[in-house]
Amino acid sequence: MASHGRPNYVAIWGWLVALMILGLAASFLPGARGLAVALIFATAVAKALLVALNYMHLKFEPRLIYAIAIVPVLFVLMLIVALFPDFVFSR
Amino acid sequence: MAIRTEAQAIPGILPGKVGVWWFLASEIMLFGGLIATFIVFRLGSTGWHGDAAHLSVPIGATNTLVLLTSSLTMVQAFAKAEDVNERGLRNNLALTILMGLAFLGIKAIEYSSEVWAGYTPASGIFWSFYYTMTGLHALHVLAGAIVNSILLGAGRLRNPLRLELAGLYWHFVDIVWIFLFPLLYLA
Repeated sequence: MASHGRPNYVAIWGWLVALMILGLAASFLPGARGLAVALIFATAVAKALLVALNYMHLKFEPRLIYAIAIVPVLFVLMLIVALFPDFVFSR
Repeated sequence: MAIRTEAQAIPGILPGKVGVWWFLASEIMLFGGLIATFIVFRLGSTGWHGDAAHLSVPIGATNTLVLLTSSLTMVQAFAKAEDVNERGLRNNLALTILMGLAFLGIKAIEYSSEVWAGYTPASGIFWSFYYTMTGLHALHVLAGAIVNSILLGAGRLRNPLRLELAGLYWHFVDIVWIFLFPLLYLA
């Protein structure tokens, strides 16, 4: 039997679709592009977290699995930040 | 003298699950490296927004909806496996495969329309990134559909763990698209 809880998968799907629509709507926001881009990626991160925590059952997993999942994400973020000087200071 | 080389089980975690998560960690670095490079190129140069405007947001959004929904059916297949509901499991797994194939079909139509309009991988750095990132992702969707098809054709599915492991991969492919869609189509 299940060694974990069972989230309401259909409700999670509802949230995912709502966030997708929100991200799409944000892309049509008039005015400051920065705000629209921030909203678009905030909804993307929220969707990814919903899928990972609920559909991949990450919220029921022990710390070791979290570590395996999070370390490469941190590496990718470090990669982006390390390359920032190219487009921040070269202008 | 014989050396014992069996993998030691980690308390509370099945070895197969640790293996799949390690594999996904390497996949995060693969797609993460591409995405990081894309972001740096995009922020460091001009004119990319104009190229991105040639992509079809409705087609990209439709494919996003298809993949999000396929994640729901995949996790439902796993839930049915836990409930020992063979019929529900099979129906949900078949729907997941069909939606994976629908995603690939829609992507193929989109590629053809872009190539017909003159936008090939050689049309500029944006298009090189676009075809590389979406092409690599499409190959992953195809691989997931094949794995799911093997599971579906493997007779009685007694072990929910197999569904869970295949699901981990499928949901990861969904998460990659969750980031590719805004990066390429919206931002």
